[in-house]
Amino acid sequence: MNDAFVSSSICPLTQWADVRQPLDFDGYCQHGGYQGAKSALLEHSPNEVLELVKNSGLKGRGGAGFPTGMKWSFVPMFDANDGNAPENKYLVANADEMEPGTFKDRLLLEGIPHQLVEAMIIAAFTIGANKAYIFLRGEYHLAAKRLQQAINEAYQHNWLGDKIQGSTFSLELYVHSSAGRYICGEETALINALEGKRANPRAKPPFPQVAGLFGKPTIVNNVETLSNLPHILKNGVDWFQAIAPESDAGSKIYGACGRVKIPGLWELPMGATLREVLFDHAGGMQDGLTFRGLLPGGASTDFLVAEHLDTPMDYDSIAKVGSRLGTGGLIVLDNKNCPVAMVLNLMRFFAQESCGWCTPCRDGTPWAVEILTRIENGHGKVEDLDSLNKLCDFMWIGKTHCALAPGAVEPLRSALKYFHDDFLEHIEHGCCHYNPTSVAKRTHVATAALKSQSRAMQGGQ
Amino acid sequence: MTENTVTIFIDDEPYQVSNTDNLLAGVLSQKLNLPYFCWHPSMGSVGACRQCAVTQFQDENDQHGRLVMACTTPVTDGMRISIKNESASEFREQIISAMMTNHPHDCPVCAEGGECHLQDMTVMTGHSAREYQGTKRTFSNQYLGELVGHEMNRCITCYRCTRFYNDYAGGKDFGVYGSKNQVYFGRQTDGALESEFSGNLVEVCPTGVFTNKVFSAHYTRKWDLQSAPSICSHCSVGCNLSIGERYGSVRRVMNRYNSEINGYFLCDRGRFGIGYVNSEQRIKQVKGIEQQSPLQLSALDVSKAFSHFRKKNFLGIGSARASLESNFYLKNIVGKDNFSAGYHNDEMQVAVQHSKILKQCKPESLTDIETSDLVFIVGEDITQTAPRMALSVRQALRNAAIDKASTMGIPSWQDSAVRTIGGTKLSPLFSLHSTSTKLDDVAEQALLSPVARISLCVQSLTNLLTSLKNSQLSHIEVEQKLAEYYQHQNHQRQLNTAEQNFVASLYQGICRAKKTTIITGTSLVNAELLADLAELVQCFQERDDINTPNLIVVPANCNSVGVLSLLDKHSLSVEQMLDKLPEKNNQQQDVYQGVIILEQELARCSHNQIQQLRASAKTLIVLDHTKQRLSEIADIVLPSTPVSEGDGHYINYQGRVQKFHQVHPPVLPVQESWRWLDMVADTLGIKVDSEVADNVDLSTPRNLNKQIKHVNKQETCQSLTQLHHFFADNYALWPQLIAAKAQQESKPVARMSHRASGRTSQMANIMVHEAKTTQKFDDSFSFSMEGASIKQTSDMPFTWAPGWNSNQSIGRYQEHINGPLQQQQKASFITFSTSLAENENWQESKDIAVNSSAKQNENCLNYVQQKNIYLSEQQAAMTPEFQLLKQSNCIFINANTALKAGVKNQQWCKLVFSATGENMQLVSQSVISQISILPNLPETLAFGNFSLCQSLSQEIEMKITLANDQEVTDYLSSYNDDILTAKASKESLLTRLKENDQTIPIRLVSGGLTDA
Repeated sequence: MNDAFVSSSICPLTQWADVRQPLDFDGYCQHGGYQGAKSALLEHSPNEVLELVKNSGLKGRGGAGFPTGMKWSFVPMFDANDGNAPENKYLVANADEMEPGTFKDRLLLEGIPHQLVEAMIIAAFTIGANKAYIFLRGEYHLAAKRLQQAINEAYQHNWLGDKIQGSTFSLELYVHSSAGRYICGEETALINALEGKRANPRAKPPFPQVAGLFGKPTIVNNVETLSNLPHILKNGVDWFQAIAPESDAGSKIYGACGRVKIPGLWELPMGATLREVLFDHAGGMQDGLTFRGLLPGGASTDFLVAEHLDTPMDYDSIAKVGSRLGTGGLIVLDNKNCPVAMVLNLMRFFAQESCGWCTPCRDGTPWAVEILTRIENGHGKVEDLDSLNKLCDFMWIGKTHCALAPGAVEPLRSALKYFHDDFLEHIEHGCCHYNPTSVAKRTHVATAALKSQSRAMQGGQ
Repeated sequence: MTENTVTIFIDDEPYQVSNTDNLLAGVLSQKLNLPYFCWHPSMGSVGACRQCAVTQFQDENDQHGRLVMACTTPVTDGMRISIKNESASEFREQIISAMMTNHPHDCPVCAEGGECHLQDMTVMTGHSAREYQGTKRTFSNQYLGELVGHEMNRCITCYRCTRFYNDYAGGKDFGVYGSKNQVYFGRQTDGALESEFSGNLVEVCPTGVFTNKVFSAHYTRKWDLQSAPSICSHCSVGCNLSIGERYGSVRRVMNRYNSEINGYFLCDRGRFGIGYVNSEQRIKQVKGIEQQSPLQLSALDVSKAFSHFRKKNFLGIGSARASLESNFYLKNIVGKDNFSAGYHNDEMQVAVQHSKILKQCKPESLTDIETSDLVFIVGEDITQTAPRMALSVRQALRNAAIDKASTMGIPSWQDSAVRTIGGTKLSPLFSLHSTSTKLDDVAEQALLSPVARISLCVQSLTNLLTSLKNSQLSHIEVEQKLAEYYQHQNHQRQLNTAEQNFVASLYQGICRAKKTTIITGTSLVNAELLADLAELVQCFQERDDINTPNLIVVPANCNSVGVLSLLDKHSLSVEQMLDKLPEKNNQQQDVYQGVIILEQELARCSHNQIQQLRASAKTLIVLDHTKQRLSEIADIVLPSTPVSEGDGHYINYQGRVQKFHQVHPPVLPVQESWRWLDMVADTLGIKVDSEVADNVDLSTPRNLNKQIKHVNKQETCQSLTQLHHFFADNYALWPQLIAAKAQQESKPVARMSHRASGRTSQMANIMVHEAKTTQKFDDSFSFSMEGASIKQTSDMPFTWAPGWNSNQSIGRYQEHINGPLQQQQKASFITFSTSLAENENWQESKDIAVNSSAKQNENCLNYVQQKNIYLSEQQAAMTPEFQLLKQSNCIFINANTALKAGVKNQQWCKLVFSATGENMQLVSQSVISQISILPNLPETLAFGNFSLCQSLSQEIEMKITLANDQEVTDYLSSYNDDILTAKASKESLLTRLKENDQTIPIRLVSGGLTDA
């Protein structure tokens, strides 16, 4: 990690994170822990906290980038003696980090669990929730253990439980380990899973802010989003916005995986360019490999290629070049790996993880897998590319029940655009050139030979 | 046009559509074609299948539009949509092609073939070529019992089955398993489906995953069925059915839409209980009449046989499962002084109270029940005796969630959204009965109480209503009041804590409710309870601050209310009738020639009583369709028709008059009971009470000189219409029963579909001669595919529309989705007199009832038999598939009782029941049964699934000992024998039916014996 960026002002979230031995309660407090919660509970009303968060410009870090303050403002607030008030409201931390190529929340969960606990106290206080859940990816055993420990400590020190720190606010916090499905990252599917139902996304409206967990008002926020709260409360809105004055406010944890020199995570001011992340922090491609493209924010985002490398990684800039910031975790493709195989692998994942509720996703994704498998194995036809394009359209936004299928389509449709030649070669040669065991069957096609040449030249550059 | 009607533009054409519904329902209401799968008119929208996509435009200038799912889009004024738009229609085709990636091409062997919603929708979208090249997913199927078949490979994952079975009908043993494109709908393990409504899966499933197993076993395509509109003969709800027949055997029952009763769903008794009409036990020949020709019975034979009964007196026993016409005719042949409904004394007392209640208030329809916000079910397990009503009660309980959703602006058709908002919120249901019921899981409170204490609870509620003028009291205050009332009563008359809590909660609930429905029944045979409930409703009417509840009494049989309307103060109970018959060896001049028994088995009569009847009746004449103990001992047996082979009327629990139509003519000499009675009526003499005939106004006192006039008929009645004319001409009472409907001069409606495989070639595999179609006099339906289209009538024999071969085609005939049928006629209801109540014999005295319950010995036990959907109704119980569902003996007892006897849950025990019988004799009965312990059961109550003999019901003693191995083995082997017998009879029935299909008799004659 570049030392220039390790300073408290721009690495608030990860500054004290240590995955080997996270801070215990005392250690956390020594480093300014629970100051944000204290400020919220004892110095502010829920409404004031809401205004703070709204003004900070904090946007959801789970992928959609929805302004957090605005999301919270949809939660109905009631007077203490309002007869229509529900018995409960809920806050849920979405820690079901299952996006392929994304592992930023894991760092926060394992490295600094108290930060999330503190954040949830602030969020729950703001929306008036007295029960909160951390919906944790099932495989995160270590995180479960550490979170539970942090929660126990927080209870011991009256940061959880009845009348926190002498205020009138009480909160119960639970860790729920997921039984495991990618779709649980979708907030309403997560709520269903938390209720013990099938993890199918719900119909909206009603939105969870109004009728969520057990039919009660519920806020579901990503772990990274929540983790910003203590620092906003502690340091103020101006500080938060100053981190990234040119872009969306605050910092962002970016990551990179694939055949880069130094795969990892870096907390940077929001809006670092792809090139910065890929070359300055991840150290560029491994020796002997060249860069072909990347998925900027997890598996469900469109490919970006060399021409996009100077794009700042914030929500709007990435959207302008046709992809999504998503989780900010880069998946990098090099010139020795087959783009068709990569898309097939991703599509298999999405087909596997489809909840099975709506037809385009349930039957469309396996269909795409079937076609991609044939192409990859050298049994594809040129018409298959039409079929794939049609399937991309078939599973696009507005046609499905939730965002899973459109997300599945994103790498495929962009691969068809940027790596069209690779698809054609698979079809025309009846084999995969990246796979040494695969033997060309139809190499006589003249056009294919030409294309192969041009690709070889590109690769040599 | 109502205030909710708005104008929308579909492909630039304006349409008037209701804005309370979703766009899909609106489009379908306009009779436009738009394919769908997951949406169901009664279950609402969830947006799973994405099949009903249309393009919605912002305004006139918007050329592009965006795709929306019609089922989840509300109708708004001036909205512009396109169905034909290319992007939408292409998407709809893609949806089908995606579903078809896994749907097998097994249509030729699929029972759904020819009436498959998936087929229809596939054709509708234009999908005709397969592009997917991969393999298809496969599943293992499950054994789901004898009624419903399972073929999961056909599944298109529309989620309708689980939404019906679990969400709508409250089933617990069915669900969704797996994910992605491997979603499995079924049970956790193989086994019979437990829901009373499992058969609806067959109709709810848009393709052939769930099939009617009984129909599949003896299968025919829908277009080869001959169908007629019918009424369910298995309970008093009167669900509308479409019964389908081919080659003289009934094949299946389908739901027939009626917006006020059953809507889209039936219970399993109604759907599968029809098996009895094909039974081996059917009576097909006359007994006791000498035939001149060995081949055929003629009318002359019958009149000869009856000639020596000329003007002789008979006693007549009608039946609550025979048609209104047959019962009415019998009553007027034997005379009103000699008529009995086959009711015992206690049942007559119940009948008195029942008729009083029916005169006092009209019970609401099932659709109306669904609008209630509080339901109180007392003394009846409607989940087993009127299951379709229980399904409606379940829907009523959703009103709390629907109301909550509507405050958030979510309409009721947004099914999943409403369920999300509602969570576990239910409108209150209070259940007070002696056995646990399948609605207990959704009840706010379910109290188990012995029969006598049920009345006590109702009485204390009445007390609360009359004395507490304040409906705002807290729960504790109400309980205190209750305690005050009863502190001076003796121990037996005091409410215990549970009862106090129940009554207080119920009182509070009713005070808050906008629309309360109280449902009770006659299965406990407790007149006191009905009287108490009538009084309770009376009390409500005196309170201005509480809405008066609707009181529904559920009687036992399909025509119980019809028979009730025929009873008057002269009517006899079975006991009185037996008394009237001369004792054996009595030399006294014979007053009565004998007894005519109409479709009645006198199930509650003891063996002794039946023997007494046989001995004292000189001539015993039985009319019935199926062999039973009375037909075995009768002198003359006349084979009559079950519901599928005759015409007639049933009157449901509301007093609603409903006609069932002949599905296929029976093979002579089988004919309707009223035709038999009509043949012998002249010989026996038809009696008309001139007092009644002259004066319609029953209330005016007339001189008591009773004159019985004998009328003569001109000729035999050829049809039900002629019979009605005859009745109306002679009996002032008759028009009150059935409002004469205007005779329709229109062309008869075809009983077969246009697609029937050709009348001329139907039997080409047997003979090439063209059979003449049967033609019946005055029939509004023809026995062929020739005739008017089904849309001409509200009594649709079957449902079909161009492009819509499945039962979903019903939408094409509704005024609007979920509305009445386009040709719907106003339902007619009969009116009630309380003439029966004038007979002092049946005036139950409150004092006696009070004393009797006060006297009840504390050690005495009240045993109540649980009702069973399959086996509690005599006709349905004859269906072999139902006999296979018989459970082994099980009794539920209190934990203390079990502790005292030293028995544990699920142990096999020997139970000895004993009581002092009628003539101070000790009656006892021993039963081997499994024990189930219910902690909250009162000590004086036990209930189980086996019957005890008549004299062992109220105050009995029960001794429990562990059964020894031998006893259990013996019992289980006899139980298994019954199951094996049922299995064998099912198989032999099937073999016979299939053999018969190859040797169909060509029938040229219509109903009625002739002298030809």
